[in-house]
Formats: sequence, C-alpha cells, structure tokens
Amino acid sequence: MKRLMLLMAVLALTVAPAAAQDVVKIGQIEAQTGANAIYGWMSSQGTALAVDEINKAGGFKVGNKTYKLQLIALDTRGEPKEATVQLKRLVEVDQAKYIFGPFLSNVFLAVRPYAAEFNGKLLMWGGATRIHDYVGTPGNEFLMRTWNWDAGKNGFGELMVDNLVKTTGAKKIAMLFQNDQGGKVLEDIYVPMFKQKGIESRLDYFEPGTKDFSAVLAKIAAWKPDFLFPGYSDSYIYDIVRQATETGQLKKFFLVRGSLGPGLKNKDGIEEYMVYVPKYFEEAEKKDPKVAKFVKAYKDFYKRDFPYDQAPLCSSSCYDHVYMLVEAMKKAGTVDDPAAVKKALMAMTYDGMWKIRFDEKGEAVFNFDVVRLKKGGALEVQHINPN
Amino acid sequence: MTQLVLGQVLNGAIIGAMYGIIALGITLTFGITGIVNFALGEFMMIGAYATYALAERGLPYPVAVVPACLIAAAAGYLSNKAFFRFTRNNLVNGLLVSIGLISIFESAAMLLWTATPVEMHFVLPGALRVGDIGLPRMKVVVFAVIVVVIVATYLALARTWLGRAAFAYAQNPEAAMLMGVHTPRLESAVMLYSTGLAGLGGALYASLYSLEPAMGGVYVLKGMEAAILGGIGSLMGSLWGGVILGVIEGVGSIFLPTAFRDAYGLAVLVAILLFRPSGLFGDE
Repeated sequence: MKRLMLLMAVLALTVAPAAAQDVVKIGQIEAQTGANAIYGWMSSQGTALAVDEINKAGGFKVGNKTYKLQLIALDTRGEPKEATVQLKRLVEVDQAKYIFGPFLSNVFLAVRPYAAEFNGKLLMWGGATRIHDYVGTPGNEFLMRTWNWDAGKNGFGELMVDNLVKTTGAKKIAMLFQNDQGGKVLEDIYVPMFKQKGIESRLDYFEPGTKDFSAVLAKIAAWKPDFLFPGYSDSYIYDIVRQATETGQLKKFFLVRGSLGPGLKNKDGIEEYMVYVPKYFEEAEKKDPKVAKFVKAYKDFYKRDFPYDQAPLCSSSCYDHVYMLVEAMKKAGTVDDPAAVKKALMAMTYDGMWKIRFDEKGEAVFNFDVVRLKKGGALEVQHINPN
Repeated sequence: MTQLVLGQVLNGAIIGAMYGIIALGITLTFGITGIVNFALGEFMMIGAYATYALAERGLPYPVAVVPACLIAAAAGYLSNKAFFRFTRNNLVNGLLVSIGLISIFESAAMLLWTATPVEMHFVLPGALRVGDIGLPRMKVVVFAVIVVVIVATYLALARTWLGRAAFAYAQNPEAAMLMGVHTPRLESAVMLYSTGLAGLGGALYASLYSLEPAMGGVYVLKGMEAAILGGIGSLMGSLWGGVILGVIEGVGSIFLPTAFRDAYGLAVLVAILLFRPSGLFGDE
C-alpha cells in the first residue's frame, strides 16, 4: 500500500509540470463589484467568454504544442490595497505572466511599483487612464494600454469634445466629478482641453458616497451651462441624471464615461444625452456578423440578456484582447516570453469586433461610436474612426 | 441667489428628516435602554434592499414598505436577543457588537446583491414647483411620512402607559421593574421599534436613491450627529437635529465647495456643543 502511494506521488510530481506547461495563465485584477465596478465587471465578462471559447475549440497551437488558457479573475472591488495583494498572488503564487487590468487609475497607481519589479517578465494590459503617463517610458515596458480613454492624441476625450463643439456649438460646460483619483485625472485632462477649445467650464467635486446631489445641481443650474458632464461612474450618474431632470434643472448631458442606461431611464426628462460608447451594439448587431455572433455567445454563456444599456463597454473589447493575445503568442512562437509577445502585439492590427492596433508607445487605437439620446428615446449614432 | 438658498433650505430639511429618523432610533435605543447600536444604519440598509427586492418582484411600493420594515425589525429583534441585551450601559461592548454586525450585514448584502449599486423603478416621478423652486414629489412625501412618524412616536411615548413605562425604565430600571414593568419585554420592544424605524428610513431612501451595501455607514453617522445635535433622549430633538444638519449641508454647499459638505454639518455641531454640551433640546 505504501509503495503504491509512493508510486502515485512520484507520478503526480512528474506529470504535474508537463500538464502545467500546457496552460497559459491569464490573471485579471478588476473591480467586478463596487461603486466603480462598471468597467471592470464588463471587461471580466468579455475575458471569461473569450477564454471559454478558445478552450472549447481545443485551445491554440504555438510551435508544436497546444495550449489552453486559464483565467484567474479576482475582484479588487476598486480597492487599491486589495488589488496589490491580488496581483502579488497572481504573480508569485499562480505565476501568471499576463495580467488583464486594471481599468481604474487609483488601482493602477497602487499596483504599478510592484508590477514594475517584474519588468520584462510580465505583460500588464490595463485600461486605466493613468497608464498613459507611464506606458512607453523606460522601466515600464511591461505596460500596454488597452483602452484609449480620455488622454492621448488618439484618446476619445479630445475626439468627443471636438464632436460636441462641432455638433452642438456648446460654449459652457459644467463638470461634476467625484473627489478622488479618477476625478483628478479627468480634471487634469478636461480643464485645459475645454480652455484650449474656447469652452468656458466650471468644475465641482462631490464626496464619494454622495447620494443627494440637489445642492450642487442647483448651484450648477444657476450657472446655466449648455451641458453637464457628470463624472465617470454609473453608480453616481444614475442619481445625478435622475435628480437633475426630475426638477428640470439640467437636461443636457455630455458623457465620456458611463453608459446609456441613465439617459434611457430618464428619457422623458432629458433634452440630450450624448455619450461615448465603444460600439452601439443595438445597431452593430444587425449589421456586423461578428457582433451578432458575440452577442449570441454572450447570451448563451451567461444565460441572460445582453446588457445593452450597461455600456457593453469593455466586455467586447476585452473579448477581442484575449484573441489578440493568443494571435501574438502564435506570432511570437512563445507563451513564456512576455517581451516577445509584446513585440508581436505592437506589430499587429487585429481585426475582430474592432480594428485594434497599438501606437508606438503601446496605447490601443480603435474606433468608437457617439450616441445621442434625445427626449423620448430617439437615438442618433455617429461612428468615429481615429485609425 | 435667494431662490437658490430657499430651495436648499427646503431640500436640506427633507434630507435632514431622513437623518432624523435614524437619530430617533439612536435616541430611543440609547436614551431608554442604554444600549448603543451603531449598526442602525445596517437595519436601514436591510429595509432598503428588502423594499427593492419586493418591489422588483412586482409588489406595489407602499405594500412592499410594510414587510421591509418587519424584516428590519425582525433582524433587530434577533440581534438584541443574541448580542445587544448583554451590552446595556457598556459603550465599548455596544460598539464592538455593532462593528461585528455591520460587517456581517454588509457582507451578506454583498453576497446577495454585490457591491454594485441598484436602483428601484421611480415610485412618484416629477416635481412640485414653488415659484422657481422644484421639489421632487417623492421627497415631499418622504418628509411628510417621517414627520408623522416622529410626532406619533413622541405622542405615543408621552401619552400612553407604555411610553411612561419606557421613561421610568430609562430613569431607573430596578424601580420600574418593581412597579410592574416587564423590562426585558420593554427592551425588546424598543429594539424592535428602533430597528423597524431604521427599516422604514431605508424603505423611504430606496424610493429616492440608488442602493449599495455600504449605504448604512453614512446614515448612521449623520443620524448620530443629528441625535447629538438635537440632544440624546429628546425625540423632537432628533427631528430638529436632522433638519438643521440637512439645511446646513445644503446651504453650506452653495457658498462653499460641495466636496466637503459633510464637514459643514460637523463644524456647526462642534460649535453648538461648545455652548450646549447636551445638544439643542437635551436636558442640561
């Protein structure tokens, strides 16, 4: 009996490393729950779906070996300390070389110093705006920015503001941001941008956790802005849009973050609700077979309806990112060398649901849509392609 | 500017009434039973989520409020039987039990609904207009309900045998017991009522704002501030404390940065306590 157990233990030890080599681990640190969870939650959805599809198709081949993906997705709840511990676990315990996330700047700033210790041995694919300040700089070669948020020449911030000015002639914008790292990021980007484009702006902050915005909304309404730019998090935007429209104080909204949901819920109270969306899925689903396939796959996998009103923001893009990473591994001929995989990624244009490429710094460039919701629910979609 | 200030006075009074209902629970529990229940905000959260869950399952909002309050009260009753009754007149133990309960209730809510906020359908949309001032209809209803509840509680305590028994218990539990007051039952009744009130606060809150598991923390602090401002033990003081706090926050936000609105109420509270340590309506 003892001999049999010894034999089994030896077998287990010899087989385990071989089996482990056939799996590529993708770690993910995103806020899947919490006040700022919308981006992380959606991206987690897309990543898990792509991993499942690739594995069900038998995995992918690099050289002579077939690999499967293992996704280890951890919920940071948007808390930097939590995320740091989770990243440590992913890198040191799970030995994941490919990290998806984070989407939140406060989380990114907290985990960056630790991740930088593994420069060259790790590839971090995050969407946080603050990544813009580090990506492509010495010592930060492990970073790639997967989402062209507000900042950067290809970022949708500038393109959205241009669109706003051109289509509405807006002259006065009121900004209402959360008093935290995310809000400060937006201040740094939009205050000079509005000034440069000749738009008068004012900025008010609110405390995280605020639910009643009536006082600050009344103050803003007295300033008579053309549009209100209400932060970046759906959990607040729902309350802000409701309270602003309920009393008829403010009826025009300009969002470069957040979803169409708050506008749709208050469609009778708004005059205009202009929002950035990576893709307006209701329309794209009818025209593009890739999008239709994705929406169907989503419904089948999660056994629920597609969250059209929840900013299908990152789900689809992170879905593309998994396929993109696999393609890059195939091109690089390795799954163990993140630096070589990054080189392959920088050289490719992926034609998935989006046409995604990376610029010279390592920031993603891809097309997006501007959706205008008018009173009563009428919609207008404009496609913008920075490529 | 006058319209703006007047609007915020009215709005602040309404928001303050929400603080007032939690303050009433605090003042009742501490003033009568000597138990410190910092977890009252969690019973508010339970009431809010219960209302949301029932309303989303098709129950009309006014109907959903009743079982939601009962669920919160039942949670309060069980918490008292299991923990709070052992902490009477012991601030530290009360605090420790409260912290533990906050953790348990918040984690349970996170498991059930996640930390992502949820929003109920609109109960009473639209606003009432007073000149240029717009007040959401639902907020006006919430204010009226809270005022009625607080006044009714005051009258019930001042004019009924149970109320007089509660006051007797607050002054001298042993003497009250000797006079025939069933003190354990009275204590349970106070806990049931105060947590049920918090549940009602939560149910009303759910009709106005989005919900998240950590919502109770903010409100228990505001309720505590309102109770101290009004004077612990003073029932009408809890309403006035809440209203004053709400108005200070609202009007303060007009003239000062809104990012620090919580600080304005606290600054005024400290200033008032310097001159009236027992609060505005508390006994000297």
